Amino acid sequence: MTLAYAIGVGVLFGSGAFLLLKPDLFRIVVGIVLVSNAANLALMAGGLTRGSAPVDPAPGERVSDPLVQALTITALVIGFAVTALLLVVAYRVYVSAHTVDLDELSHAEARHEQNLEREELEV
Amino acid sequence: MLAVALALPWFGGVMLALVDGRRRGAAWLAAGCLGLALGVLAVLLGMVIADGPLEGVAGGWPSGVGITLRADALGALFALTSVAVLVSALVYEVAAGIRSPRFPALVLLLATGLTGLFLTADVFSFYVFFELSMIASYVLAAYGDKSRQLTAGFIFAVVNLLGSFLFLIGVAAIYHVTGSLDMATVAERLQGADSGIVLLIAVAIFVAFGVKLGLFPFHFWLPTVYTSATPAVAAMLSGAVANIGSYGLLRFGAGVMPEALQLGAPVLIGLGTASILYGALQSVSRRSAAEVLAYSAVGQAGYVLVTLSVAGAVGLTAAVVYAIANALNKALLFLSLEVRGWAVGLVFAVGAFSVAGVPPTAGFFGKVEVFRAGVTEDSVALVALLFLGGALSFLYMFQIYQHDFWREQRRTPASGRLVQAVPIVLMVLVVALGLWPEPLLRAGQEAAEAVQEGGP
Repeated sequence: MTLAYAIGVGVLFGSGAFLLLKPDLFRIVVGIVLVSNAANLALMAGGLTRGSAPVDPAPGERVSDPLVQALTITALVIGFAVTALLLVVAYRVYVSAHTVDLDELSHAEARHEQNLEREELEV
Repeated sequence: MLAVALALPWFGGVMLALVDGRRRGAAWLAAGCLGLALGVLAVLLGMVIADGPLEGVAGGWPSGVGITLRADALGALFALTSVAVLVSALVYEVAAGIRSPRFPALVLLLATGLTGLFLTADVFSFYVFFELSMIASYVLAAYGDKSRQLTAGFIFAVVNLLGSFLFLIGVAAIYHVTGSLDMATVAERLQGADSGIVLLIAVAIFVAFGVKLGLFPFHFWLPTVYTSATPAVAAMLSGAVANIGSYGLLRFGAGVMPEALQLGAPVLIGLGTASILYGALQSVSRRSAAEVLAYSAVGQAGYVLVTLSVAGAVGLTAAVVYAIANALNKALLFLSLEVRGWAVGLVFAVGAFSVAGVPPTAGFFGKVEVFRAGVTEDSVALVALLFLGGALSFLYMFQIYQHDFWREQRRTPASGRLVQAVPIVLMVLVVALGLWPEPLLRAGQEAAEAVQEGGP
Protein backbone atom coordinates (compact mmCIF):
# COMPACT_ATOMS: atom_id res chain seq x y z
CA MET A 1 0.00 0.00 0.00
CA THR A 2 2.82 2.35 0.90
CA LEU A 3 4.46 1.56 -2.43
CA ALA A 4 1.27 2.42 -4.31
CA TYR A 5 1.06 5.73 -2.46
CA ALA A 6 4.72 6.44 -3.11
CA ILE A 7 4.29 5.82 -6.84
CA GLY A 8 1.15 7.95 -6.87
CA VAL A 9 2.91 10.85 -5.14
CA GLY A 10 5.90 10.50 -7.44
CA VAL A 11 3.82 10.50 -10.62
CA LEU A 12 1.72 13.48 -9.48
CA PHE A 13 4.75 15.49 -8.40
CA GLY A 14 6.65 14.62 -11.57
CA SER A 15 3.80 15.61 -13.88
CA GLY A 16 3.28 18.78 -11.88
CA ALA A 17 6.95 19.71 -12.09
CA PHE A 18 6.90 19.02 -15.84
CA LEU A 19 3.93 21.33 -16.36
CA LEU A 20 5.57 24.02 -14.21
CA LEU A 21 8.37 24.24 -16.75
CA LYS A 22 5.99 25.12 -19.59
CA PRO A 23 5.92 28.73 -20.73
CA ASP A 24 2.13 28.99 -20.41
CA LEU A 25 0.47 30.49 -17.34
CA PHE A 26 -2.50 28.10 -17.30
CA ARG A 27 -0.30 25.00 -17.65
CA ILE A 28 1.69 26.35 -14.70
CA VAL A 29 -1.47 26.66 -12.63
CA VAL A 30 -2.41 23.06 -13.46
CA GLY A 31 1.13 22.03 -12.52
CA ILE A 32 0.75 23.70 -9.11
CA VAL A 33 -2.57 21.92 -8.60
CA LEU A 34 -0.90 18.56 -9.31
CA VAL A 35 2.01 19.31 -6.97
CA SER A 36 -0.41 20.37 -4.22
CA ASN A 37 -2.27 17.11 -4.60
CA ALA A 38 0.99 15.19 -4.45
CA ALA A 39 1.57 16.87 -1.08
CA ASN A 40 -1.95 15.99 0.07
CA LEU A 41 -1.47 12.37 -0.93
CA ALA A 42 1.84 12.29 0.92
CA LEU A 43 0.04 13.65 3.97
CA MET A 44 -2.55 10.85 3.74
CA ALA A 45 0.17 8.29 3.29
CA GLY A 46 1.95 9.65 6.35
CA GLY A 47 -0.63 8.14 8.69
CA LEU A 48 -1.92 4.95 7.13
CA THR A 49 -3.39 2.72 9.80
CA ARG A 50 -6.06 0.08 9.31
CA GLY A 51 -9.16 0.11 11.45
CA SER A 52 -12.70 1.33 11.69
CA ALA A 53 -13.72 4.96 11.63
CA PRO A 54 -12.89 6.58 14.97
CA VAL A 55 -16.51 7.39 15.80
CA ASP A 56 -17.47 5.87 19.15
CA PRO A 57 -15.20 2.79 18.82
CA ALA A 58 -15.74 -0.28 20.97
CA PRO A 59 -13.08 -0.62 23.69
CA GLY A 60 -9.91 -2.23 22.34
CA GLU A 61 -10.98 -1.89 18.72
CA ARG A 62 -8.38 -0.59 16.25
CA VAL A 63 -9.28 2.74 14.73
CA SER A 64 -7.83 4.44 11.69
CA ASP A 65 -5.84 7.64 12.24
CA PRO A 66 -8.26 10.58 11.98
CA LEU A 67 -5.58 13.25 12.27
CA VAL A 68 -4.15 12.87 8.76
CA GLN A 69 -7.60 13.28 7.30
CA ALA A 70 -8.10 16.49 9.25
CA LEU A 71 -4.71 17.71 8.06
CA THR A 72 -5.43 16.77 4.46
CA ILE A 73 -8.75 18.55 4.35
CA THR A 74 -7.11 21.68 5.75
CA ALA A 75 -4.37 21.43 3.13
CA LEU A 76 -6.99 20.82 0.42
CA VAL A 77 -8.88 23.95 1.37
CA ILE A 78 -5.67 25.99 1.31
CA GLY A 79 -4.75 24.49 -2.05
CA PHE A 80 -8.20 25.35 -3.37
CA ALA A 81 -7.92 28.97 -2.24
CA VAL A 82 -4.47 29.30 -3.72
CA THR A 83 -5.60 27.85 -7.05
CA ALA A 84 -8.46 30.32 -7.21
CA LEU A 85 -6.04 33.16 -6.49
CA LEU A 86 -3.57 31.98 -9.14
CA LEU A 87 -6.30 31.71 -11.74
CA VAL A 88 -7.45 35.24 -10.98
CA VAL A 89 -3.91 36.58 -11.32
CA ALA A 90 -3.40 34.65 -14.57
CA TYR A 91 -6.67 36.05 -15.89
CA ARG A 92 -5.67 39.61 -14.92
CA VAL A 93 -2.36 39.12 -16.72
CA TYR A 94 -4.28 37.95 -19.77
CA VAL A 95 -6.63 40.95 -19.64
CA SER A 96 -3.82 43.47 -19.35
CA ALA A 97 -1.27 41.86 -21.69
CA HIS A 98 -3.53 39.82 -24.04
CA THR A 99 -1.33 36.77 -23.79
CA VAL A 100 -0.63 33.95 -21.36
CA ASP A 101 2.66 32.96 -22.94
CA LEU A 102 5.59 33.75 -20.67
CA ASP A 103 8.00 34.29 -23.57
CA GLU A 104 5.69 36.83 -25.15
CA LEU A 105 5.17 38.49 -21.77
CA SER A 106 8.88 38.98 -21.28
CA HIS A 107 9.24 40.29 -24.86
CA ALA A 108 6.46 42.79 -24.20
CA GLU A 109 8.18 43.83 -20.99
CA ALA A 110 11.52 44.32 -22.73
CA ARG A 111 9.83 46.46 -25.40
CA HIS A 112 8.11 48.47 -22.69
CA GLU A 113 11.42 49.12 -20.93
CA GLN A 114 13.10 50.14 -24.17
CA ASN A 115 10.33 52.64 -24.76
CA LEU A 116 10.76 54.01 -21.26
CA GLU A 117 14.50 54.43 -21.74
CA ARG A 118 13.95 56.16 -25.06
CA GLU A 119 11.48 58.55 -23.44
CA GLU A 120 13.97 59.28 -20.69
CA LEU A 121 16.67 60.07 -23.23
CA GLU A 122 14.35 62.36 -25.13
CA VAL A 123 13.48 64.24 -21.93
CA MET B 1 -1.92 37.69 25.90
CA LEU B 2 -1.03 35.25 23.13
CA ALA B 3 -4.56 35.11 21.87
CA VAL B 4 -4.87 38.91 21.94
CA ALA B 5 -1.74 39.35 19.83
CA LEU B 6 -3.22 37.00 17.26
CA ALA B 7 -6.88 38.00 17.39
CA LEU B 8 -6.31 41.75 17.13
CA PRO B 9 -4.97 41.86 13.55
CA TRP B 10 -7.19 38.95 12.55
CA PHE B 11 -10.49 40.58 13.52
CA GLY B 12 -9.25 43.88 12.20
CA GLY B 13 -8.38 42.26 8.87
CA VAL B 14 -11.69 40.47 8.53
CA MET B 15 -13.67 43.62 9.39
CA LEU B 16 -11.67 45.86 7.11
CA ALA B 17 -11.95 43.40 4.22
CA LEU B 18 -15.58 44.51 4.03
CA VAL B 19 -14.92 48.24 3.71
CA ASP B 20 -13.11 50.33 1.15
CA GLY B 21 -9.55 50.72 2.43
CA ARG B 22 -8.91 53.73 0.24
CA ARG B 23 -10.94 55.82 2.69
CA ARG B 24 -8.63 57.54 5.17
CA GLY B 25 -10.66 56.47 8.19
CA ALA B 26 -10.52 52.77 7.37
CA ALA B 27 -6.84 52.92 6.54
CA TRP B 28 -5.94 54.70 9.79
CA LEU B 29 -8.08 52.24 11.71
CA ALA B 30 -5.97 49.44 10.19
CA ALA B 31 -2.76 51.23 11.13
CA GLY B 32 -4.05 51.78 14.67
CA CYS B 33 -5.05 48.14 14.98
CA LEU B 34 -1.61 47.03 13.83
CA GLY B 35 0.03 49.54 16.17
CA LEU B 36 -1.95 48.07 19.06
CA ALA B 37 -0.83 44.56 18.05
CA LEU B 38 2.75 45.88 18.00
CA GLY B 39 2.33 47.16 21.55
CA VAL B 40 0.93 43.81 22.70
CA LEU B 41 3.87 41.99 21.11
CA ALA B 42 6.36 44.34 22.78
CA VAL B 43 4.78 43.62 26.18
CA LEU B 44 4.80 39.92 25.31
CA LEU B 45 8.51 39.99 24.48
CA GLY B 46 9.21 41.77 27.78
CA MET B 47 7.23 39.15 29.69
CA VAL B 48 8.91 36.27 27.88
CA ILE B 49 12.40 37.60 28.56
CA ALA B 50 11.57 38.28 32.20
CA ASP B 51 9.70 35.08 33.12
CA GLY B 52 10.33 32.52 30.39
CA PRO B 53 8.04 31.20 27.65
CA LEU B 54 4.28 31.61 27.73
CA GLU B 55 2.06 28.79 26.62
CA GLY B 56 -1.56 28.26 25.81
CA VAL B 57 -3.35 25.22 24.41
CA ALA B 58 -6.29 25.84 22.11
CA GLY B 59 -9.64 24.39 23.11
CA GLY B 60 -8.59 23.35 26.63
CA TRP B 61 -6.91 20.13 25.50
CA PRO B 62 -4.05 18.75 27.58
CA SER B 63 -0.62 19.95 26.47
CA GLY B 64 0.84 17.74 23.74
CA VAL B 65 -2.57 16.74 22.40
CA GLY B 66 -4.18 20.05 21.44
CA ILE B 67 -2.70 22.73 19.24
CA THR B 68 -0.26 24.72 21.33
CA LEU B 69 0.53 28.40 21.03
CA ARG B 70 3.83 29.16 22.66
CA ALA B 71 5.77 32.40 22.79
CA ASP B 72 9.47 32.10 23.49
CA ALA B 73 12.09 34.79 23.01
CA LEU B 74 12.86 33.78 19.40
CA GLY B 75 9.26 33.79 18.23
CA ALA B 76 8.31 36.97 20.10
CA LEU B 77 11.37 38.82 18.82
CA PHE B 78 10.70 37.89 15.19
CA ALA B 79 7.00 38.68 15.54
CA LEU B 80 7.78 42.08 17.03
CA THR B 81 10.25 42.95 14.26
CA SER B 82 7.94 41.80 11.47
CA VAL B 83 4.94 43.68 12.81
CA ALA B 84 7.09 46.79 13.32
CA VAL B 85 8.10 46.64 9.65
CA LEU B 86 4.49 46.09 8.60
CA VAL B 87 3.28 49.06 10.66
CA SER B 88 5.84 51.40 9.13
CA ALA B 89 5.14 50.18 5.60
CA LEU B 90 1.39 50.54 6.14
CA VAL B 91 1.69 54.05 7.57
CA TYR B 92 3.95 54.98 4.65
CA GLU B 93 1.44 53.68 2.11
CA VAL B 94 -1.52 55.31 3.87
CA ALA B 95 0.31 58.63 3.87
CA ALA B 96 1.29 58.23 0.21
CA GLY B 97 -2.25 57.28 -0.78
CA ILE B 98 -3.59 53.74 -1.02
CA ARG B 99 -4.55 52.60 -4.49
CA SER B 100 -6.40 49.37 -3.76
CA PRO B 101 -9.47 48.98 -1.53
CA ARG B 102 -8.22 45.77 0.08
CA PHE B 103 -4.68 46.87 0.88
CA PRO B 104 -5.06 47.59 4.65
CA ALA B 105 -7.02 44.39 5.24
CA LEU B 106 -4.36 42.34 3.45
CA VAL B 107 -1.60 43.88 5.55
CA LEU B 108 -3.51 43.01 8.71
CA LEU B 109 -4.04 39.43 7.54
CA LEU B 110 -0.35 39.20 6.67
CA ALA B 111 0.40 40.36 10.23
CA THR B 112 -1.96 37.68 11.58
CA GLY B 113 -0.23 34.97 9.59
CA LEU B 114 3.24 36.11 10.63
CA THR B 115 2.36 36.48 14.32
CA GLY B 116 0.71 33.07 14.26
CA LEU B 117 3.59 31.26 12.68
CA PHE B 118 6.13 32.82 15.00
CA LEU B 119 4.05 31.96 18.06
CA THR B 120 2.88 28.44 17.28
CA ALA B 121 4.41 25.27 18.64
CA ASP B 122 2.67 22.94 16.23
CA VAL B 123 4.24 21.96 12.93
CA PHE B 124 0.99 21.83 11.02
CA SER B 125 -0.48 25.06 12.30
CA PHE B 126 2.89 26.55 11.38
CA TYR B 127 2.08 25.50 7.80
CA VAL B 128 -1.43 26.95 8.00
CA PHE B 129 -0.23 30.35 9.29
CA PHE B 130 2.59 30.23 6.78
CA GLU B 131 0.09 29.81 3.93
CA LEU B 132 -2.13 32.54 5.39
CA SER B 133 0.69 35.05 5.35
CA MET B 134 1.95 33.88 1.97
CA ILE B 135 -1.46 34.22 0.32
CA ALA B 136 -1.71 37.78 1.63
CA SER B 137 1.76 38.53 0.29
CA TYR B 138 0.97 37.01 -3.14
CA VAL B 139 -1.85 39.48 -3.48
CA LEU B 140 0.32 42.31 -2.15
CA ALA B 141 3.09 41.47 -4.65
CA ALA B 142 0.60 42.10 -7.47
CA TYR B 143 -0.43 45.41 -5.80
CA GLY B 144 -0.28 48.18 -8.36
CA ASP B 145 -2.09 46.16 -11.02
CA LYS B 146 0.25 46.92 -13.87
CA SER B 147 0.96 44.02 -16.19
CA ARG B 148 4.53 43.88 -14.91
CA GLN B 149 3.48 43.63 -11.26
CA LEU B 150 0.88 41.01 -12.10
CA THR B 151 3.46 38.85 -13.84
CA ALA B 152 5.87 39.32 -10.95
CA GLY B 153 3.12 38.42 -8.49
CA PHE B 154 2.33 35.29 -10.49
CA ILE B 155 5.97 34.17 -10.54
CA PHE B 156 6.31 34.93 -6.82
CA ALA B 157 3.21 32.89 -6.04
CA VAL B 158 4.18 29.89 -8.17
CA VAL B 159 7.75 29.60 -6.90
CA ASN B 160 6.77 30.05 -3.28
CA LEU B 161 3.86 27.64 -3.58
CA LEU B 162 6.26 24.98 -4.78
CA GLY B 163 8.31 25.72 -1.64
CA SER B 164 5.20 25.54 0.55
CA PHE B 165 4.17 22.17 -0.84
CA LEU B 166 7.65 20.80 -0.29
CA PHE B 167 7.31 21.95 3.30
CA LEU B 168 3.95 20.19 3.52
CA ILE B 169 5.54 16.97 2.26
CA GLY B 170 8.18 17.48 4.95
CA VAL B 171 5.40 17.84 7.54
CA ALA B 172 3.82 14.61 6.29
CA ALA B 173 7.17 12.86 6.65
CA ILE B 174 7.65 14.28 10.16
CA TYR B 175 4.24 12.99 11.19
CA HIS B 176 4.96 9.60 9.66
CA VAL B 177 8.27 9.23 11.47
CA THR B 178 7.38 10.70 14.86
CA GLY B 179 3.60 10.36 15.08
CA SER B 180 3.41 13.86 16.52
CA LEU B 181 3.13 17.43 15.32
CA ASP B 182 4.13 19.18 18.52
CA MET B 183 7.57 20.71 17.89
CA ALA B 184 9.10 19.72 21.25
CA THR B 185 7.89 16.12 20.92
CA VAL B 186 9.04 15.99 17.29
CA ALA B 187 12.52 17.23 18.26
CA GLU B 188 12.72 14.61 20.99
CA ARG B 189 11.60 11.72 18.82
CA LEU B 190 13.69 12.67 15.79
CA GLN B 191 16.83 12.22 17.87
CA GLY B 192 16.36 8.48 17.94
CA ALA B 193 15.21 8.24 14.31
CA ASP B 194 17.15 6.94 11.33
CA SER B 195 19.50 9.75 10.28
CA GLY B 196 18.87 9.12 6.57
CA ILE B 197 15.17 9.85 6.96
CA VAL B 198 15.81 12.88 9.15
CA LEU B 199 18.22 14.23 6.55
CA LEU B 200 15.60 13.77 3.83
CA ILE B 201 13.03 15.72 5.87
CA ALA B 202 15.63 18.37 6.64
CA VAL B 203 16.39 18.81 2.93
CA ALA B 204 12.71 19.28 2.03
CA ILE B 205 12.26 21.85 4.80
CA PHE B 206 15.54 23.60 4.01
CA VAL B 207 14.54 24.03 0.36
CA ALA B 208 11.17 25.45 1.45
CA PHE B 209 12.79 28.11 3.66
CA GLY B 210 15.61 28.71 1.22
CA VAL B 211 13.04 29.70 -1.39
CA LYS B 212 11.33 32.02 1.07
CA LEU B 213 14.56 33.67 2.15
CA GLY B 214 15.95 33.89 -1.38
CA LEU B 215 19.16 31.92 -0.79
CA PHE B 216 21.51 31.49 -3.72
CA PRO B 217 20.22 28.61 -5.81
CA PHE B 218 16.61 29.48 -5.01
CA HIS B 219 16.82 33.23 -5.40
CA PHE B 220 15.80 33.60 -9.06
CA TRP B 221 12.30 34.91 -8.32
CA LEU B 222 13.50 37.57 -5.92
CA PRO B 223 14.92 40.36 -8.12
CA THR B 224 11.88 40.33 -10.44
CA VAL B 225 9.47 40.65 -7.54
CA TYR B 226 11.39 43.22 -5.48
CA THR B 227 12.05 45.49 -8.42
CA SER B 228 8.49 45.57 -9.71
CA ALA B 229 6.76 45.86 -6.32
CA THR B 230 5.96 49.29 -4.91
CA PRO B 231 8.37 50.49 -2.15
CA ALA B 232 5.95 49.71 0.69
CA VAL B 233 5.31 46.20 -0.58
CA ALA B 234 9.01 45.58 -1.23
CA ALA B 235 9.71 46.70 2.36
CA MET B 236 7.08 44.28 3.66
CA LEU B 237 8.38 41.39 1.57
CA SER B 238 12.04 41.90 2.49
CA GLY B 239 11.55 43.12 6.06
CA ALA B 240 8.70 40.94 7.27
CA VAL B 241 7.91 38.02 4.93
CA ALA B 242 11.58 37.06 4.43
CA ASN B 243 11.81 36.68 8.23
CA ILE B 244 9.83 33.45 7.80
CA GLY B 245 12.89 31.98 6.10
CA SER B 246 15.36 33.01 8.81
CA TYR B 247 12.99 31.97 11.57
CA GLY B 248 12.25 28.64 9.90
CA LEU B 249 15.93 27.86 9.46
CA LEU B 250 16.61 28.71 13.11
CA ARG B 251 13.59 26.91 14.49
CA PHE B 252 13.61 23.79 12.34
CA GLY B 253 17.34 23.62 11.65
CA ALA B 254 18.81 24.44 15.02
CA GLY B 255 15.77 23.68 17.19
CA VAL B 256 14.06 20.60 15.80
CA MET B 257 16.77 18.90 13.74
CA PRO B 258 20.16 19.91 15.19
CA GLU B 259 21.78 16.63 14.12
CA ALA B 260 20.80 17.09 10.50
CA LEU B 261 22.07 20.67 10.71
CA GLN B 262 25.43 19.45 11.93
CA LEU B 263 25.58 16.78 9.27
CA GLY B 264 24.70 19.23 6.50
CA ALA B 265 26.86 22.08 7.80
CA PRO B 266 29.54 21.90 5.06
CA VAL B 267 26.91 22.05 2.32
CA LEU B 268 25.02 24.85 4.05
CA ILE B 269 28.20 26.88 4.56
CA GLY B 270 29.01 26.37 0.87
CA LEU B 271 25.55 27.54 -0.21
CA GLY B 272 25.65 30.49 2.18
CA THR B 273 29.08 31.56 0.91
CA ALA B 274 27.90 31.29 -2.68
CA SER B 275 24.86 33.36 -1.71
CA ILE B 276 26.95 36.11 -0.09
CA LEU B 277 29.40 36.38 -2.98
CA TYR B 278 26.80 36.07 -5.71
CA GLY B 279 24.53 38.66 -4.08
CA ALA B 280 27.37 41.12 -3.51
CA LEU B 281 28.85 40.78 -7.00
CA GLN B 282 25.47 41.08 -8.70
CA SER B 283 24.69 44.15 -6.60
CA VAL B 284 27.95 45.82 -7.56
CA SER B 285 27.15 45.35 -11.24
CA ARG B 286 23.62 46.82 -11.06
CA ARG B 287 22.63 50.45 -11.41
CA SER B 288 18.97 50.59 -10.43
CA ALA B 289 18.60 51.02 -6.66
CA ALA B 290 15.77 48.49 -6.29
CA GLU B 291 17.78 45.86 -8.14
CA VAL B 292 20.85 46.47 -5.99
CA LEU B 293 18.76 46.10 -2.84
CA ALA B 294 17.16 42.91 -4.17
CA TYR B 295 20.53 41.26 -4.84
CA SER B 296 21.83 42.59 -1.57
CA ALA B 297 18.96 40.71 0.12
CA VAL B 298 20.25 37.49 -1.49
CA GLY B 299 23.68 38.19 -0.02
CA GLN B 300 22.44 39.08 3.45
CA ALA B 301 20.42 35.85 3.57
CA GLY B 302 23.70 34.01 3.09
CA TYR B 303 25.13 35.44 6.33
CA VAL B 304 22.22 34.08 8.34
CA LEU B 305 22.74 30.62 6.86
CA VAL B 306 26.53 30.56 7.29
CA THR B 307 26.44 31.84 10.87
CA LEU B 308 23.69 29.43 11.76
CA SER B 309 25.62 26.42 10.50
CA VAL B 310 29.08 27.44 11.69
CA ALA B 311 28.62 27.71 15.38
CA GLY B 312 26.73 26.72 18.50
CA ALA B 313 25.19 29.21 20.90
CA VAL B 314 27.31 32.16 19.75
CA GLY B 315 26.41 31.46 16.14
CA LEU B 316 22.72 31.29 16.94
CA THR B 317 22.78 34.61 18.77
CA ALA B 318 24.65 36.10 15.83
CA ALA B 319 22.15 34.69 13.32
CA VAL B 320 19.20 36.10 15.28
CA VAL B 321 20.73 39.56 15.77
CA TYR B 322 21.84 39.66 12.15
CA ALA B 323 18.43 38.65 10.82
CA ILE B 324 16.67 41.30 12.92
CA ALA B 325 19.11 44.08 11.96
CA ASN B 326 18.87 43.06 8.32
CA ALA B 327 15.06 43.18 8.36
CA LEU B 328 15.14 46.72 9.74
CA ASN B 329 17.81 47.83 7.22
CA LYS B 330 15.89 46.51 4.26
CA ALA B 331 12.64 48.11 5.39
CA LEU B 332 14.42 51.42 5.88
CA LEU B 333 16.15 51.34 2.50
CA PHE B 334 13.15 50.24 0.46
CA LEU B 335 10.90 52.83 2.11
CA SER B 336 13.38 55.64 1.48
CA LEU B 337 13.80 54.74 -2.22
CA GLU B 338 11.02 56.88 -3.61
CA VAL B 339 10.75 59.51 -0.91
CA ARG B 340 11.86 62.98 -1.84
CA GLY B 341 12.75 65.63 0.69
CA TRP B 342 15.52 67.24 2.68
CA ALA B 343 16.31 64.33 4.99
CA VAL B 344 16.11 61.46 2.55
CA GLY B 345 19.79 61.50 1.62
CA LEU B 346 20.72 61.21 5.27
CA VAL B 347 18.19 58.42 5.83
CA PHE B 348 19.48 56.45 2.88
CA ALA B 349 23.09 56.95 3.97
CA VAL B 350 22.31 55.64 7.46
CA GLY B 351 20.63 52.60 5.90
CA ALA B 352 23.66 52.08 3.67
CA PHE B 353 26.02 52.37 6.64
CA SER B 354 23.91 49.86 8.51
CA VAL B 355 24.06 47.35 5.64
CA ALA B 356 27.82 47.81 5.39
CA GLY B 357 28.12 47.47 9.18
CA VAL B 358 29.47 50.87 10.17
CA PRO B 359 28.81 52.06 13.74
CA PRO B 360 26.66 53.45 15.26
CA THR B 361 23.93 51.44 13.53
CA ALA B 362 22.07 48.21 14.23
CA GLY B 363 23.86 46.59 11.29
CA PHE B 364 27.18 47.10 13.05
CA PHE B 365 26.14 44.88 15.95
CA GLY B 366 24.84 42.28 13.52
CA LYS B 367 28.30 42.15 11.96
CA VAL B 368 30.03 42.20 15.39
CA GLU B 369 28.05 39.16 16.48
CA VAL B 370 28.88 37.31 13.27
CA PHE B 371 32.53 38.25 13.72
CA ARG B 372 32.48 36.98 17.28
CA ALA B 373 30.93 33.70 16.12
CA GLY B 374 33.70 33.36 13.52
CA VAL B 375 36.44 34.02 16.07
CA THR B 376 34.96 31.75 18.73
CA GLU B 377 34.65 28.88 16.31
CA ASP B 378 38.08 29.54 14.75
CA SER B 379 36.46 29.84 11.39
CA VAL B 380 38.88 31.80 9.21
CA ALA B 381 36.50 31.45 6.29
CA LEU B 382 33.66 33.20 8.10
CA VAL B 383 35.82 36.12 9.21
CA ALA B 384 37.33 36.54 5.73
CA LEU B 385 33.87 36.31 4.18
CA LEU B 386 32.56 38.89 6.59
CA PHE B 387 35.22 41.42 5.62
CA LEU B 388 34.98 40.72 1.90
CA GLY B 389 31.18 40.86 1.97
CA GLY B 390 31.26 44.00 4.10
CA ALA B 391 33.65 45.73 1.73
CA LEU B 392 31.53 44.79 -1.28
CA SER B 393 28.33 45.95 0.40
CA PHE B 394 30.00 49.26 1.22
CA LEU B 395 30.91 49.55 -2.45
CA TYR B 396 27.49 48.83 -3.90
CA MET B 397 25.54 50.83 -1.35
CA PHE B 398 27.60 53.93 -2.08
CA GLN B 399 27.46 53.36 -5.79
CA ILE B 400 23.72 53.78 -5.68
CA TYR B 401 23.97 56.54 -3.12
CA GLN B 402 26.25 58.44 -5.46
CA HIS B 403 24.15 57.60 -8.49
CA ASP B 404 20.84 58.54 -6.92
CA PHE B 405 21.67 61.40 -4.57
CA TRP B 406 24.74 63.19 -5.90
CA ARG B 407 24.90 62.92 -9.63
CA GLU B 408 21.47 63.94 -10.79
CA GLN B 409 19.44 66.75 -9.36
CA ARG B 410 16.06 65.36 -8.53
CA ARG B 411 13.37 67.36 -10.19
CA THR B 412 10.42 65.69 -8.51
CA PRO B 413 8.74 67.65 -5.72
CA ALA B 414 9.21 66.70 -2.09
CA SER B 415 6.93 64.00 -0.67
CA GLY B 416 4.35 64.67 2.04
CA ARG B 417 5.59 65.25 5.56
CA LEU B 418 4.20 61.99 6.91
CA VAL B 419 5.71 60.00 4.04
CA GLN B 420 9.08 61.47 4.94
CA ALA B 421 8.54 60.84 8.64
CA VAL B 422 8.26 57.05 8.33
CA PRO B 423 11.81 56.39 7.03
CA ILE B 424 13.11 58.95 9.52
CA VAL B 425 11.51 57.08 12.43
CA LEU B 426 12.99 53.82 11.16
CA MET B 427 16.37 55.52 10.83
CA VAL B 428 16.17 56.73 14.44
CA LEU B 429 15.35 53.16 15.47
CA VAL B 430 18.34 51.74 13.56
CA VAL B 431 20.68 54.33 15.07
CA ALA B 432 19.19 53.88 18.54
CA LEU B 433 19.79 50.13 18.35
CA GLY B 434 23.36 50.92 17.31
CA LEU B 435 23.92 53.27 20.24
CA TRP B 436 22.16 51.18 22.84
CA PRO B 437 22.28 47.58 21.60
CA GLU B 438 21.75 45.84 24.96
CA PRO B 439 18.04 45.08 24.45
CA LEU B 440 18.67 43.58 21.00
CA LEU B 441 21.67 41.54 22.13
CA ARG B 442 19.88 40.36 25.27
CA ALA B 443 16.85 39.31 23.24
CA GLY B 444 19.17 37.60 20.75
CA GLN B 445 20.85 35.59 23.51
CA GLU B 446 17.54 34.61 25.03
CA ALA B 447 16.32 33.57 21.58
CA ALA B 448 19.41 31.43 20.99
CA GLU B 449 18.84 29.73 24.34
CA ALA B 450 15.20 29.16 23.48
CA VAL B 451 16.21 27.50 20.20
CA GLN B 452 18.65 25.19 21.92
CA GLU B 453 16.08 23.97 24.40
CA GLY B 454 14.57 22.09 21.47
CA GLY B 455 11.27 22.90 19.80
CA PRO B 456 9.16 25.64 21.33
